[in-house]
Amino acid sequence: MSKKFTRMEKLFLVCLSAFALKFGIVPTASAMHIMEGYLPAAYCISWGVLCLPFLAAGYLSIRKTLKGNKSLITLLAMSGAFVFVISSLKIPSVTGSCSHMTGTGLGAILFGPSAVSILGLIVLLFQAILLAHGGLTTIGANTFSMAIAGPFVTYGIYVLGKKMKLNQKVNVFLAATLGDLFTYIITATQLAMAHHADTSFMAAWGKFMVIFAPTQVPLAIIEGIITVLIVAGLETYAKPELKAVGYFEEV
Amino acid sequence: MISIDKLCYNSRLRYENAGEKFAFAMVTLCICVASRSIAVACIVLAVTGILTTWKGGIPVLRYLKAMTVPLTFLFLSTFAIMFNIRRVPLDLFALPIGSWYLTASRSAFLYSVQLILTALSAVSCLYFLSFTTPMPDILEVLRKMHCPRLLSELMLLTYRFIFILLDTASAISVSQDCRLGNRDYRTSVRSFGLLGSVLMIRATARSGKLYTAMEARCYDDTIRVLSESRPPRRGVIAAIILFDAGLLSLAVWRKFFA
Repeated sequence: MSKKFTRMEKLFLVCLSAFALKFGIVPTASAMHIMEGYLPAAYCISWGVLCLPFLAAGYLSIRKTLKGNKSLITLLAMSGAFVFVISSLKIPSVTGSCSHMTGTGLGAILFGPSAVSILGLIVLLFQAILLAHGGLTTIGANTFSMAIAGPFVTYGIYVLGKKMKLNQKVNVFLAATLGDLFTYIITATQLAMAHHADTSFMAAWGKFMVIFAPTQVPLAIIEGIITVLIVAGLETYAKPELKAVGYFEEV
Repeated sequence: MISIDKLCYNSRLRYENAGEKFAFAMVTLCICVASRSIAVACIVLAVTGILTTWKGGIPVLRYLKAMTVPLTFLFLSTFAIMFNIRRVPLDLFALPIGSWYLTASRSAFLYSVQLILTALSAVSCLYFLSFTTPMPDILEVLRKMHCPRLLSELMLLTYRFIFILLDTASAISVSQDCRLGNRDYRTSVRSFGLLGSVLMIRATARSGKLYTAMEARCYDDTIRVLSESRPPRRGVIAAIILFDAGLLSLAVWRKFFA
């Protein structure tokens, strides 16, 4: 067979594959933050407005807690920092890509959903500015999906499971995984509502769901497993600390 | 640990007035997102890029590397927007898959290009802010904008604690590595779970001690941080207003008259 590629073409191919190896094979499958500038202005504002009642409720609940016991402010800040750090650490993943947890599901189980809405907002702001995950204009949409919708589902399932006397580990796993999947569904919905250029809303929604499924579904399952391990570890070693964050009272 | 945070403390623009930088980044960002025009996006991308790297002294490679952080999301979702699977091919191109086509239309292609450029320029605005302004300065601006005191206090404390916890987490993961804690997939998942729970225990223990320490130093619900930025300068403010007014009029012109 004769020579297929010229030298320039070969060089081009090598460069292209190097680029693909560098950026394509090792994608950062973070918890699907909508990036800065990806949503039109109208959607940014309306998602932000939709978050306001939840944030106000969270703010009032935090203020009430702090009125009762002022020293809890460091604990709250530590919890926020904990969610940030957990979500910024690389978790072991099957495919070798580096992926990150959401962390808000765990937060909802430990601290309750109303505190997590405010902590989640703060964490998302820091993630946007310090890590460039998410953004300032899309913070409303991201807060809604990650700090409000996901944690509320997680907490709801968790409480329901407790009532139904489900095995604790199974319960935590289900709560964290389904909460994560719900976050992913909400984000796909947000994207589809904003961008359905030449198709119907449902078709766009289907496309976003399919495209993000390979990263988000395994991530949700791993997040569930890790949340179970963390909660189990805490229940074994840290009963008094858990009491301090209100883990036993709220359920 | 967090490279953006480290770099912004070394930026040459660090001591410029934080309010100026914040206003510039936010107004430009809003114009960018609201106009969604290619011309505006290119101008903003160039201007903020030059300001951050050349004026601010951030290494160009680090800057470009930071720009690749959101690329995965950008590629995946723009792919979803642009391509369709249909029975009838659209006008840009079509790849047959059985009796269906993987196809894209010309309008969707234009829309995607516009979207990519807008998103990248918006990210560059965000980077201008985060590569030149340390977090305490941004929080100071928020405080001046009458953000609720409890919230800004919580943010300041959280910012400080992030580094404490990151330190702890990296120490724990090094010692886990030493003890073959990441030998295979099973152990690494278990190690991560242990790391998480130990981190939480350390965090709660630490927070109690910290509050005691703060109270011993007369903590009265606010930590006052010395703001190290210059007072606002007229020339800079005029330049910002001029630039953003120009940008806005270009955006309006492109939208309604061109």
